[in-house]
Amino acid sequence: MSTVQLSHAVKRFGAVAALDDVSVDFADGEFFGLLGPSGSGKTTLLRAVAGFVDLDAGEIRMDGAPVGDRPVHRREIGMVFQSYALFPHLTVRDNIGFGLAVRGRPRSEIDAEVKRMLALVQLSGLEARKPRQLSGGQQQRVALARALVTRPRVLLLDEPLGALDKRLRQEMQVELKRIQRTVGITTIFVTHDQEEALTLSDRIAILNEGRILQVGPPAEVYERPATSFAARFLGDANLLEGRVVAGGVEVAGVGVVRTAGRLPAVGELARLAIRPEKFAIGGANGTVVPPLNRIRGVVRHVVYSGTSITYQVEAGQEAISIIDMQEIRPRILTVFQQNRTAEPLAIGTAIELSWAPANTIVLAS
Amino acid sequence: MLLGPAYGWLAVTVLLPLAAMLYFSFLTVAPIGGRVAEPTLAQYAAFLDKDFYRVLTWRSLRLGFDVTLVSVLLGYPAALVLAKYVSGRWREALFLLVVLPFWSNALVRTFSWTMVLRDGGLLDRAIRVLVPDAEPLGLLFTYPAIVIGLVHAYLPYMILTCYISLQAVDDALIEAARSLGASGAQLFVRVVLPLSLPGLLGGVLLIFVPVIGSFMEPRILGGRTGIMLGTVIEDQFTAVFNWPLGAALSFIMLAIVLAIFALAAPFLRERLRGI
Amino acid sequence: MTGGRLVARFYLGLVLVFLYLPVAVMMLMAFNRSPLYELPFAFDTVWFHALAGNERLLQAGANSVMLAIANTVVATALGTLAALGLQRYEFRGKTALQLLLFPPITIPWLIIGTAMLIFFFWVGIGRGLHAMLLGHVALSLPYVIVVVGARLKGHGRALEDAAATLGATPGQSFWRVTLPVMAPGVVAAALFAFAVSFDQFVISYFLAPPGVSTLPVEIYSAIRKGFTPEINAISTIIILVSMGLMLLFARLYRFGGER
Repeated sequence: MSTVQLSHAVKRFGAVAALDDVSVDFADGEFFGLLGPSGSGKTTLLRAVAGFVDLDAGEIRMDGAPVGDRPVHRREIGMVFQSYALFPHLTVRDNIGFGLAVRGRPRSEIDAEVKRMLALVQLSGLEARKPRQLSGGQQQRVALARALVTRPRVLLLDEPLGALDKRLRQEMQVELKRIQRTVGITTIFVTHDQEEALTLSDRIAILNEGRILQVGPPAEVYERPATSFAARFLGDANLLEGRVVAGGVEVAGVGVVRTAGRLPAVGELARLAIRPEKFAIGGANGTVVPPLNRIRGVVRHVVYSGTSITYQVEAGQEAISIIDMQEIRPRILTVFQQNRTAEPLAIGTAIELSWAPANTIVLAS
Repeated sequence: MLLGPAYGWLAVTVLLPLAAMLYFSFLTVAPIGGRVAEPTLAQYAAFLDKDFYRVLTWRSLRLGFDVTLVSVLLGYPAALVLAKYVSGRWREALFLLVVLPFWSNALVRTFSWTMVLRDGGLLDRAIRVLVPDAEPLGLLFTYPAIVIGLVHAYLPYMILTCYISLQAVDDALIEAARSLGASGAQLFVRVVLPLSLPGLLGGVLLIFVPVIGSFMEPRILGGRTGIMLGTVIEDQFTAVFNWPLGAALSFIMLAIVLAIFALAAPFLRERLRGI
Repeated sequence: MTGGRLVARFYLGLVLVFLYLPVAVMMLMAFNRSPLYELPFAFDTVWFHALAGNERLLQAGANSVMLAIANTVVATALGTLAALGLQRYEFRGKTALQLLLFPPITIPWLIIGTAMLIFFFWVGIGRGLHAMLLGHVALSLPYVIVVVGARLKGHGRALEDAAATLGATPGQSFWRVTLPVMAPGVVAAALFAFAVSFDQFVISYFLAPPGVSTLPVEIYSAIRKGFTPEINAISTIIILVSMGLMLLFARLYRFGGER
């Protein structure tokens, strides 16, 4: 159970900077998610901590001591690969016991530890099977057990749930969290699935193009994204632009939008975001209690998903800058509603949307 | 490094000898046993002067062409059947059966054909069953015998390469074409054939080249009519001992081979990626 | 289209008959008492007995086997190392090296054989079993590299990486993971190498000095000289050995290919 620190890490592949001055601290025992699109550098970061990638600049420390010159097999890490990488010629028992075997532990100790681990991942009794006789979910648990049996200081997970189908993935998410809490090990995992990152992590880092854009607990990163990239990568966001005036932001065709966050100086440009689930729907003539923000629109598209309904609402127009030209397009807002009434609105219905100023996110860029 | 020994070995046993042969082809006599050799183009000139060699080269090329053609005509349909009309465990077993002869001793297989083709051999007997008193076919020691023997030798290879690329033609593509209204013949010509062409061409190339260099089969099956460029080259080394001439002829053959590869290179590049 | 299916399978059957008929006839004749293929067929193992007394053929057979074993050891070792190297490292010119594997297989063996003869004689190596070994290994290497390489590709670096994260030193990783995983491929390649050497005719023919030969070369001379039915017998044995080896190889290669 250790802390890991990355300071000013840089790694280039040819002309591309996979890691561009990245610094982040991983606290002892926390479940930390690295989230980002392909090529964002998250996997490179993970592999750098593991020791497969040598940094061009910067330092990695574990418990304060630099580990940069230590080869992979002496870093005391446990890693679960995307493909699980179970040894096909060994049984489950020998797979899990591998880390202990190469350390020269006696057979009796290995057997006992393997039993303990299998119980932890709830696969007792499968010692004698070979990997190809296991299902995907079982293979994943064996991979996890194998990584944990040597009591490593850090657990690294590379897209651990990517190969599983949806139901299995949800089950495994719960399992993973339970096991991590039981063992208490510092865990860093990589994913491109934002829902998974939100569900599993104690803290999330959003990466793009080799840089960390934001770090924080899931709720903070979700409710208060710093950049429009973060806002749109982690969940959906409706974006509005306008100039700061006294009391809020003047958005063309909407009026003054009130926010609770800090705004730039009066006269400056401001970019706002509203999450789809923060809207309340009132009828066109409905009573809406101030001081909520409101906007009028017409329902253009309905997506019925059982537990929820998503509407695409056309609300006025907005000006989009493309290179040096301005284009006027209809403003489409995405609205997300729980399915409370089982009566979706019809296309063409005129509605009024309202939302609390506190739910107006002010974006830094 | 890991690669060193293997590639070093190849360099010594293949590249250097080829280089040596090139050198020899420009000499008057083999500089062995105390003889002194002079550089000359006479060996190559001999090739260009004498009609004999040109006729021979042409014969060898023609043999290559005939063998390849028959192999394609026989082998492609067989591969097609194996890929599309047979399924499951049968397919694997039959595939193995088809390929197995190829990896067994070529000499012995060629020899076994003499049993069948000789006067009074199996073929004659079979015919006599149907038509008593028939004259012996006398196939052995003729050109067709050589073709038969070589086709037999290389047919599995043609089936193998065609099968691999035919098998890669996704059944979904065929179903899609059918749903768009393609008849059987159209399906074959417009979808299956073009997609399996790389395999077919690969097979053609890898049969044509060894065949033009063959000497064992022409000698055993063709006797006196079995004189090819390959057999003449062999003679230079084992009977006549005119090594420089043999070297020159070899290199001319190599040049032909390389020219063929160069021509086919664009098509080959697709295939190589699959290895 | 069941009628079409039937025709299709019938055709395939014909092709198979074409491929196996001559060999079947030869094997049949090996057991026929008559020295001149007279029918009716009378089963007799007389020619196999005659083999036992044929010094030349026996000596050639022994040479073939020894040569094949030596070839297997050397080619498999070198080829496996090369396959490991190709898989492990990315470097410029890698494709070129991979292409270099092809000449021994694609250039007519006549050319390679005569070139070796020239070179070895000139350089002083001369002809003989040692020269043949040089040649056979050169021919076997590409096959070994391809077969082992295919096996390695299926399992890749991930397994070695995993072993490293579990604390295995590179040596331990090689011994406990890479080698066992590679094993079926290596064995298959070894079988292949043996068969390639055992059946090899052209190279052996050119590199054989008077008095020393391998089985195929000996059979060739016997055919050229005139015919003894013992050739049938020895050929039958050879064919059965080659095909048996190849069947083993196919079995191994299949099961090695499984995850």
